[in-house]
Amino acid sequence: MANSVNDFTVNIATANGTGSQSANLILLHSMFEMGVPVSGKNLFPSNISGLPTWFIIRASDEGYQAPGDLTHIQVVMNKDTWLADVEKAEPGTIIIHNMDVKLPVERDDCIVLGMPMTKMARSINPKLARMIANMYYVGALAETLGIEDSAIASAVTQQFNGKEKAIELNLQAISEGRDYARENWDCEIGYSVEARDKDPNTFLIEGNEAAALGCIFGGINMLSWYPITPSSSLAESIINWLPKLRQAEDGGATCAVIQAEDELAAAGMVVGAGWAGGRGMTCTSGPGISLMSEFIGLAYFAEVPGVIWDVNRVGPSTGLPTRTQQSDLTLLYEASHGDTQHIVLIPGTVDECFEFGWRAFDVAEQYQTLVFGFSDLDLGMNRWVTAGFEYPDEKLDRGKVIRTQEQLDAIENFGRYRDVDGDGIPYRTLPGSGLEPILYRGTGHDEDGVYSEDPEVYAATVARLKRKIEGARDKLPAPIMREEKDKQVGIIYYGSVENTIKEIDDILESTTGMKVSTCRVRALPYHSEVERFIAEHDQVVVLEINRDGQLFGILRKELPVELLSNLHSVAFSDGIPPRARVYADMILETLSGETKEVVA
Amino acid sequence: MRPIKLNVIDLPKADYTGGPSSLCPGCGHDQISNVIIQAAWENGIVPERIAKMSGIGCSSKTPAYFLGKSHGFNTVHGRMPSVTTGANMVNKDLAFLGVSGDGDTASIGIGQFIHAIRRNLNMVYIIENNGVYGLTKGQYSATVEKGSKKKKGATNENPPIDLCKMAINLGCGFVARSFSGSKKQLTALLKAALSHKGMAVIDVISPCVTFANNDESYRSYNYVKGNEEELHTVDYIPHFTPIEEVEVPEGQFEDISLFDGSTLRLETLGDDHDPSNAVAALAAIHEAEQNDKHVTGLLYYDSEMKTADEELGLTDTPLVDLTEEELRPSKKALEELNQSFRA
Repeated sequence: MANSVNDFTVNIATANGTGSQSANLILLHSMFEMGVPVSGKNLFPSNISGLPTWFIIRASDEGYQAPGDLTHIQVVMNKDTWLADVEKAEPGTIIIHNMDVKLPVERDDCIVLGMPMTKMARSINPKLARMIANMYYVGALAETLGIEDSAIASAVTQQFNGKEKAIELNLQAISEGRDYARENWDCEIGYSVEARDKDPNTFLIEGNEAAALGCIFGGINMLSWYPITPSSSLAESIINWLPKLRQAEDGGATCAVIQAEDELAAAGMVVGAGWAGGRGMTCTSGPGISLMSEFIGLAYFAEVPGVIWDVNRVGPSTGLPTRTQQSDLTLLYEASHGDTQHIVLIPGTVDECFEFGWRAFDVAEQYQTLVFGFSDLDLGMNRWVTAGFEYPDEKLDRGKVIRTQEQLDAIENFGRYRDVDGDGIPYRTLPGSGLEPILYRGTGHDEDGVYSEDPEVYAATVARLKRKIEGARDKLPAPIMREEKDKQVGIIYYGSVENTIKEIDDILESTTGMKVSTCRVRALPYHSEVERFIAEHDQVVVLEINRDGQLFGILRKELPVELLSNLHSVAFSDGIPPRARVYADMILETLSGETKEVVA
Repeated sequence: MRPIKLNVIDLPKADYTGGPSSLCPGCGHDQISNVIIQAAWENGIVPERIAKMSGIGCSSKTPAYFLGKSHGFNTVHGRMPSVTTGANMVNKDLAFLGVSGDGDTASIGIGQFIHAIRRNLNMVYIIENNGVYGLTKGQYSATVEKGSKKKKGATNENPPIDLCKMAINLGCGFVARSFSGSKKQLTALLKAALSHKGMAVIDVISPCVTFANNDESYRSYNYVKGNEEELHTVDYIPHFTPIEEVEVPEGQFEDISLFDGSTLRLETLGDDHDPSNAVAALAAIHEAEQNDKHVTGLLYYDSEMKTADEELGLTDTPLVDLTEEELRPSKKALEELNQSFRA
């Protein structure tokens, strides 16, 4: 039998709340420990217990991180999805199942391997049998794939965080699973792992935790939040790390944390903190952004700094709360009524989650406006590789804040909203300073902050706001580009598509010989380099995980009209992290001028 | 030339005034603005250390008309408490003075009002309560009494939301009701509120001269004048005036010691009212309501509660004044962090 080394996908079907997440992470971490390039995706239900969960592990020496086209090994543990999981398997799939569920696996065309997992678990701990049963498939996979004992031991220790009893019990179960597989199965299943040189600096971390740490290193002063999947773990990570990283000398906290009554209040607190001169931040998902929109407009118009992280989930409305999508981009860019435009920072890696975590505060204070961090469930809640976070290379930028009478005196004809420097960014004074106090307001105001309905004053104010945000274009994180010499086809993408682009690129090249340039947009308003990229390529595809092509829409609105004829949208989302083949096919169809209904 | 009168920190009253009002002539809210100016001046509060906060509505426009040397924020409808919360967290040393209306507080912003009380946000929360939406031409608000009738339109048939009852039930440590036409009482109560640590709610009946100052309106000037039931007369003795120099009143009185060392003296008129008894306070409101009366005075007082910022254990320095070294962990801290993930 041919053997695929470090090139396969495992799909593990379990019920939520049975402890399977621990088992799955142990598998993921043990392979990572061996240096196998590996990624894990958790497809979980939006309730606490009982509903079906799938965990997809992809091992790929090529470094592909999206779920592959095929499932090579299917583990079935959940009776509710059992028949469908078994039926869906392609011929030749290895199906590992828990025999104690007592449901049939009638697939003569697959390799079916059974193990009485619950019974064996019961024999070592009757009370915890349901949870421990999961460790038997870990043992089974460890044996069949060739995962080293030392890697398993290290992953188990990490997972149970030094709890001796749990470590011992779970290691015993894994070991029994190994023994059973060796004694009862033909373990030459055609897929295996092989150790690779692991960069000792690398580790796996969720995007939400990386962003949280970034916020802490960015000097966050006030976190207000309202629980919502998939952003809660961002707030909870901040809460978890604050005492360790941000305690003052007197033992007091240097960041206030408030669990707000709703997203409206969370946004209001961010605006209040920014108004008072602090670094306020909240995190949420699409439904929260809808609710926060009123305050987002106030912050834009009254020019108050603040940061909001949106970890995108599937909309519209409540949508699919635990699935991933890039569908809030337009909402963020133009949130709230009236003409608005907001700065959006778009990380594509956990390193950028960290970097944009701190940088967002600098940008917000620099431009005296609300800045969004735009992540999604895939990036935020799954674990990705980093070689370690880099320390900020710039000091905190607190923006144009006048703190003394001398500074105030140095400005001729000061007014809160007067464009002294010609960059559209005015100077501000802080409450408590007694320096040129004004009553901030969301109503029309003149350059001194005084209420005004004067047509010229209004028009000048909104024109300056436009100029201010436009001025940020080339100062925000520049796109990451990889340009072919022959500039035929370019792909523009952003955010978590980063995890799939390499595989898409390889599929395009291997199937058609097409060599594409890529351009990953990392901020809105988009950098002028994006325009150059579009101008220099014959055909440009904007690739995104949504239905309507939201970045495409923004580009179409803002680009010179002569660049539009060769710009195409490829957008698709079904809630599952993107599979490379689906997008590669759509790109090819789009470029060949055909359109076809997508069936993923 | 007459010498200009100065307060205890040597500032003239002019340092506490604001711009001219654009409200209807005779509006109760303007009288409240004058009381705010008077109270802040007489208390000797440094004007720039006050933060004026408001939502949207006639009442919420008023921060433009007082304390011109203070920064302020006229926020969005019903959301003043959350903005105040964020500001308070990063600068706990400011004195937050919130002005809101009955539409702002009892309808669109009732959730934020409730949660600000629940957290015991350290602020004074004044409700300028006229029972109508003035800026949109006089629709009833949720606080208007059943049976009350504004100048035009049908009699209100819905039961009112009583914000004092609500505040007491939520455990607010300072709950008072007053009337914009009772300048002496309102001034004393506001001064006491400014001397209190924690949430202080003052619900001020403030007639709308344009839409509801007719005699059938329970919130008209004449109606309130004729149907106000004062729990006690109130007298405020500031911390900088030795209390032994103040004349002791005849008859019964009760002194309440406030956070900054000032005293609120309650001189009992009729039945004893014990402001530390929440049930008695609720009963007083309930009885007045049954008789279509307005009960005024200090309804409830409890000084023992921790404020929101105290509850969070914030460092002594207001967060807004922290240095870069205090805000950004060191390079070494990041290296150790990376290392801990690698292990």
